[in-house]
Amino acid sequence: MNPSIPTLAAIRFGYGLRPGEELPADADALLAQIEEGVAEKPRFPREGLTGRIETATRVLSVRAAEAKAAKAGNPNADLRKETQRQAQRIYRQDAMGRIAQAIHSPLGFYERLATFWVDHFSTSVLKSLPMRMIVPLYEAQSIRPNIGGSFSGLLQAAILHPAMLIYLDQNQSVGPDSVAGRKNSRGLNENLGRELLELHTLGAGSGYTQDDVRAAALILTGLSVDNRALEVVYRPRLAEAGPVSLLGRSYEDDEGDGQDHILMLEDLAANPKTALHVSRKLARHFIADDPPEEVVSSMVDAWTKSQGNLTEVYRAMLTHPRAWSDPGQKIKQPFEFLVSGFRAFDLPEKNFAELLRDMEGEDEGPVEKAMEMAGVRAKENAKRKAGRANALTFGALQRMGQPVWQPPSPAGFADEAGVWLSPSQLSERITWSRMVARILGQKMEPSEFLAAALGDAVRPETQRIVSQAPNKVHGITMVLASPEFNRR
Amino acid sequence: MTLQQNFLLSRRGFLAGACCAAAAPILTPVTLAATPGDNRFVTIVLRGAMDGLDLVQPYGDPAFATLRPKLGLTPQTGLLDLDGFFGLNPAASALMPLWQAGELSFVHAVSTPYRDQRSHFDGQDMLETGGSDKAERTGWLNRALSAIPRSDARKAIDINTSMELILSGPSDVDSWSTQSNFALAEDEIAFLDRLYEGDEAFARAMQEAKKTDMSADALYGDAKRGSGIAEMARLAGGMLREDYRIASFSINGWDTHVGQKAQFRKAAGDLSTAITTLKASLGDEAWGKTVVLAITEFGRTVRENGTNGTDHGTGGLAVLAGGAISGGKVLGQWPGLGDDHLLDRRDLMPTGDVREIAAAMLYRQFGIDPDNLTGKVFPGLAFDRSSIYLKG
Repeated sequence: MNPSIPTLAAIRFGYGLRPGEELPADADALLAQIEEGVAEKPRFPREGLTGRIETATRVLSVRAAEAKAAKAGNPNADLRKETQRQAQRIYRQDAMGRIAQAIHSPLGFYERLATFWVDHFSTSVLKSLPMRMIVPLYEAQSIRPNIGGSFSGLLQAAILHPAMLIYLDQNQSVGPDSVAGRKNSRGLNENLGRELLELHTLGAGSGYTQDDVRAAALILTGLSVDNRALEVVYRPRLAEAGPVSLLGRSYEDDEGDGQDHILMLEDLAANPKTALHVSRKLARHFIADDPPEEVVSSMVDAWTKSQGNLTEVYRAMLTHPRAWSDPGQKIKQPFEFLVSGFRAFDLPEKNFAELLRDMEGEDEGPVEKAMEMAGVRAKENAKRKAGRANALTFGALQRMGQPVWQPPSPAGFADEAGVWLSPSQLSERITWSRMVARILGQKMEPSEFLAAALGDAVRPETQRIVSQAPNKVHGITMVLASPEFNRR
Repeated sequence: MTLQQNFLLSRRGFLAGACCAAAAPILTPVTLAATPGDNRFVTIVLRGAMDGLDLVQPYGDPAFATLRPKLGLTPQTGLLDLDGFFGLNPAASALMPLWQAGELSFVHAVSTPYRDQRSHFDGQDMLETGGSDKAERTGWLNRALSAIPRSDARKAIDINTSMELILSGPSDVDSWSTQSNFALAEDEIAFLDRLYEGDEAFARAMQEAKKTDMSADALYGDAKRGSGIAEMARLAGGMLREDYRIASFSINGWDTHVGQKAQFRKAAGDLSTAITTLKASLGDEAWGKTVVLAITEFGRTVRENGTNGTDHGTGGLAVLAGGAISGGKVLGQWPGLGDDHLLDRRDLMPTGDVREIAAAMLYRQFGIDPDNLTGKVFPGLAFDRSSIYLKG
């Protein structure tokens, strides 16, 4: 396979081809997507940013009231269940919104970057019930608008969001030598301080020490979350009394205004090790597990010259010829695989939205006993549809190991090609391909579908084998299960 | 802490809801329609081109043993004799009681008007649209619905599941799907092996997946596959016992280019399972009013190829079953396997039109007027009340 530049642009740097969508002509076309994407309102949170804050705080206050009543001996199990159900439903709507966003947005590179950064600054809906509602807000509020600007800006937006502080336990951390720390036994939690150095900025093995981790954690003390307003707040009572020394610089909250952590974040963003770590991680994600060093070094140069302007870093990557060589070294991650599969079918957005409705049909009230045959069938049918919609989307991502907003650890999902090409992974992908081919591909000509899905990235043998398939469904299945559809 | 505990509970609920569908992701469509009266009609599309010469072997033809040195059987080597000339492949032995009860017939050397190209996709399209060229885009069974006297329209209840082509068209039909774990057919696995041949990492993963129990369950497992077929037939049978009268579904696995013996055994077993399960789930009374017609896009080469299989041919075999037929016959005009009698010196010469069998069954079961059958349902077909298939 030796695809043309526009095809490779869509496959390697986007979510694949979609019939009727113009291929990005070159690096400039990809870069132009960023400004547009940043300005766009994503399909989640469903109620918008302020709407989500209202919904989430309302659900949380009902929950808090119930917890209080329960403590006083008056539990309300129904109300408790209802809040769980609501949070679950909100998560499901938003996760479907995230899948739909990736499928239907013509800004494939911007969408891939959003996925990269939300993974780089991982948070998880599995942390706690409120996180079901907060993580989608986090991506829309902190990640997506900041992808094209300075790394420092993105870093601050990501770290200083309730989602991150909750996920990495910063809201539990107390400076040992703070007002609150001196009063009771609560103490320091190093979680965020560690991941900040190891994952978000300098990178593992870049030379920092356990003392540095502790120092970063001490500097972060004071940061907490106001659960009522869903806002990050600074609580001086929790903040360690200064000064604290980190990587040769002393941080002291002279003004008492809790700005020392901002200085630290700025310094970490400006550290040359961060430039190298993040540039290499980008190149590794988009190009190859072992990316060409000259691409990485030109990204680092651009980082230095532009003081960490991310668009300039992407530009350095995309304008390097080696970023376009040796296609197919990476394996699409499950989310990419699923999204690019739906894109190839050109499923209209309203039909995709129906899948969510199908799933919600499952949540309807209790079944009446004496039901007409037709009623039983309708109910049974709704159940089947719900099962099918789930199997096509959430179930599939779960089984393939990449459910939406549920990274296995703060380090995010694995990125190495080998991880996503295991025997079980392949059989899951074949199974999904077959299912989606049956449901959406029954009327399609496999050869036409192949052309729509892969353009000039198709191998001659795939073309031949697909055209000879024993039935159309298997022809479509093989397009999606083919090596070139799964590589990028 | 409290929050997390509650979350775990609800998450477990969530996963419980997700698991059943996710563990059974292959949805097998059965397309159904309701018509007046008590008679039933089931079509089974055998996708991939069934080798009729393997299912119903003409062991009495002098050329057969030479043409089929590895695949050909005789009553001495296990073939189940049917009429002294033809014998049934023992992989379909479950069908013998039906043969003995007069509830099973075969029609040899039949085909659609499709010729020369031997493409599965086009061949299946022609088989399902029932046209004499590729222009027709609706299924013959759907067009037949509107020709059934006093037929009332039913509302389609599931727009998202795609219908199989054979029942697609303007008349309303219902589509149901079983959610059994429906594994890939043998020929489909063979195609995937070919697909991955040139990509070492994929080829290795595929080989491993076939060996690993867990993955193999999803892809492979005979037992699973058999139960998927049975579940599909049970669904169809159950619906036909209620107010549906027409059903259609497919059985894959017939494209036996390589190692046909083992592959064919599985596919023929699936077909037997489908028919016997239909009979069992319909019950005696409804089965007595039922005709099952299993058809395929074309036959396979009369000679074995170099990889112990057969390639795409022309003349094929249709299977008729049900309590409503007077069976126990191998119908059709046998063209002979001598070199001069073959089509292009390679394929069984078609001597009958598979559409005529379908027309005869529609006439018999639903009283569709022959003019409608030759004009609307199967344009260009020659059919009238004297059709040989109305006698069988």
